[in-house]
Amino acid sequence: MGELRRDPIVGRWVIVDTDNPNAPADFNYDQYVPKGGLCPFCYGNEFMTPPEINCFRDPNTHANTPGWTVRVVANKFPALQIEGSLERRGIGIYDMSNGVGAHEVLIETPYHAKDLPDLLPEEVENYFKMCCARCQDLAKDERFKYLMLFRNYASAAGATLEHPHTQIVALPMVPKNALEELHGAKEYFNYRERCIFCDIIRQELQEKDRLVLENKYFLSFCPFVSRFPFEIMIIPKKHSGNFSLMSAEEIKALAEIMQGTLRKLKKVFENISYNYIIHSSPINSELEGEYYHWHIELMPKLTQVAGFEWGTGFYLDSTSPELAAQYLKAV
Amino acid sequence: MPELRKDPVIGRWVIIATERALRPDQFNTPVSGKSPDGACPFCEGNESKTPPEIYAIRKNNSPANGPGWELRVVPSIAPFLRVEGELDRRGKGMYDLMNGVGAHEMIVETNQHIANMADLSEDQIVKVLNCYADRINDLERDSRFKYALIFKNYGKSAGGSALNHARSQLIATPVNPKRVKEELTGSRAYYEYHERCVFCDLIKQEIEQKSRVIVDLDGFIAVAPFAARFPFETWILPKKHCCDFTCTDPESRVFLARVLKTVLSKLKKGLNDPPYNYVIHTAPFRRKKAGYWKSIDQDYHWHIEIMPRLTKVAGFEWGTGFYICPLPPEDTAKFLREVEL
Repeated sequence: MGELRRDPIVGRWVIVDTDNPNAPADFNYDQYVPKGGLCPFCYGNEFMTPPEINCFRDPNTHANTPGWTVRVVANKFPALQIEGSLERRGIGIYDMSNGVGAHEVLIETPYHAKDLPDLLPEEVENYFKMCCARCQDLAKDERFKYLMLFRNYASAAGATLEHPHTQIVALPMVPKNALEELHGAKEYFNYRERCIFCDIIRQELQEKDRLVLENKYFLSFCPFVSRFPFEIMIIPKKHSGNFSLMSAEEIKALAEIMQGTLRKLKKVFENISYNYIIHSSPINSELEGEYYHWHIELMPKLTQVAGFEWGTGFYLDSTSPELAAQYLKAV
Repeated sequence: MPELRKDPVIGRWVIIATERALRPDQFNTPVSGKSPDGACPFCEGNESKTPPEIYAIRKNNSPANGPGWELRVVPSIAPFLRVEGELDRRGKGMYDLMNGVGAHEMIVETNQHIANMADLSEDQIVKVLNCYADRINDLERDSRFKYALIFKNYGKSAGGSALNHARSQLIATPVNPKRVKEELTGSRAYYEYHERCVFCDLIKQEIEQKSRVIVDLDGFIAVAPFAARFPFETWILPKKHCCDFTCTDPESRVFLARVLKTVLSKLKKGLNDPPYNYVIHTAPFRRKKAGYWKSIDQDYHWHIEIMPRLTKVAGFEWGTGFYICPLPPEDTAKFLREVEL
């Protein structure tokens, strides 16, 4: 008998197939095959991108030339534009506004073919440092209410360029999924006067059967209500709503657990594509609250989302999170 | 300047990219019409390869589970949910769960090996629509179920199987799905404020503005929604207010079949046979008991959402529930209007 599990935060039900669970070899996913070609994110091609917004580079080199380690540029094809005002307005029953926001690309490394687990620990630390720095800077613009950091790795996960990169989108409103999470966390907090994420962490550390990795500051685990097989959450043990306020020591621990978790995932699934998203508290908004707890959602691209999921917001997870964690722990 | 648009029913914002708009010919992944080895379990003569039928339209009283049928419903071979057993709702620490009880049926739309519903005759599509209503009504009698969802996955990137035999699926769930609740809550809030149905208002505005209308005939309208999530997303709505798909009168299903076939054929011809999903959005089972949502007959309006799968949904969309649509719905509607059949 399969199980229906309810997400404690947003109330979404998920069907977990416990009868005939899929083993890693049962997934027929699109494997990543690099195609190569001219890359605007490689050394020597800096002129192909918009000018850099921020950069860690050798002090003896010039902006927009080689010699950098992490580089941030504006997205050449931005989904939102930085100039202008929102001008919220209506057309009959419809509401709309101008597409104001920021869309930046953070190039994690000069190496075209190195994914995060292939880098040195210090390089990954620098990458997360830059993520925090950009978030702190963008938060100064009061038009922005939410910062969305996400990474599409490889084509099946929606990456259009091969060179590893992370995107930052600053939005003029808090997106629906974030609102749902905030709302759920707030209700729980009002009722129990505890953070729901802190309670989840406590239960996961106690039960251990969904735990993948743990260090002093973080844990990674397969959530009890995973929407996708081998979905993973990385969360700080210390209660904190805002990702960009991590200490240097915490950044180091995050780099370590991110590398370790991805390494395991890539060992179970060769050439896998994946997405991760950083869920952090809204900014410049009354929605910033003590009840929220930032975290990273990591989703390997193993299955296709079909009509049932679109129609219902109900998901089918063909490998239970307990089993997925077992496979990940074993490698 | 790109635009941010808000869905008037559930409040989801969408980014419509107006400047880096992609042309329709930039999306192109035709679905092939052949099965892997020709032995399709859904073709006439292969009835023994599926579980026994639940429902069938048969000619000349032909016996069940043999040839001689025009449409057939069988349980899914790999069901998401099982029909036997009790729900047994329970908690596990802070988590809630219950048994995976429900129904999962395959509606085989034709005895011929035809892949795309667009290629069925109008008459055959009417039979499929009637079957949807019959199956939903039958499952409503099982008090464990709260909702029945009809959907279709056509082509691999829409989650469809490689068998390429036209099928729809039905899943009955023991809880009301989240997305359905959002739509119901959104339309109720609109109704409470305006005392009008949000979908009726939407239809009126679309007919007036015309720019997003794809087909308008015989009591149904097909539009590209104002806050489309995907390029070429299309909704088909009945002009006459009705919350429940199963309550449409059988004559009007003839017209619905015509509009559905027209839209699917335009997509097939204009976009080179793209993969797609469609989902029927209809009211949950309305049993008279405590907590019955009294205004649902007035505030909700059933409809069909068709989503061609031309772009990949990436991290941004999953994380935010915010979609970036690379082509304005006004352009996709114009393109589809101009596809000659």
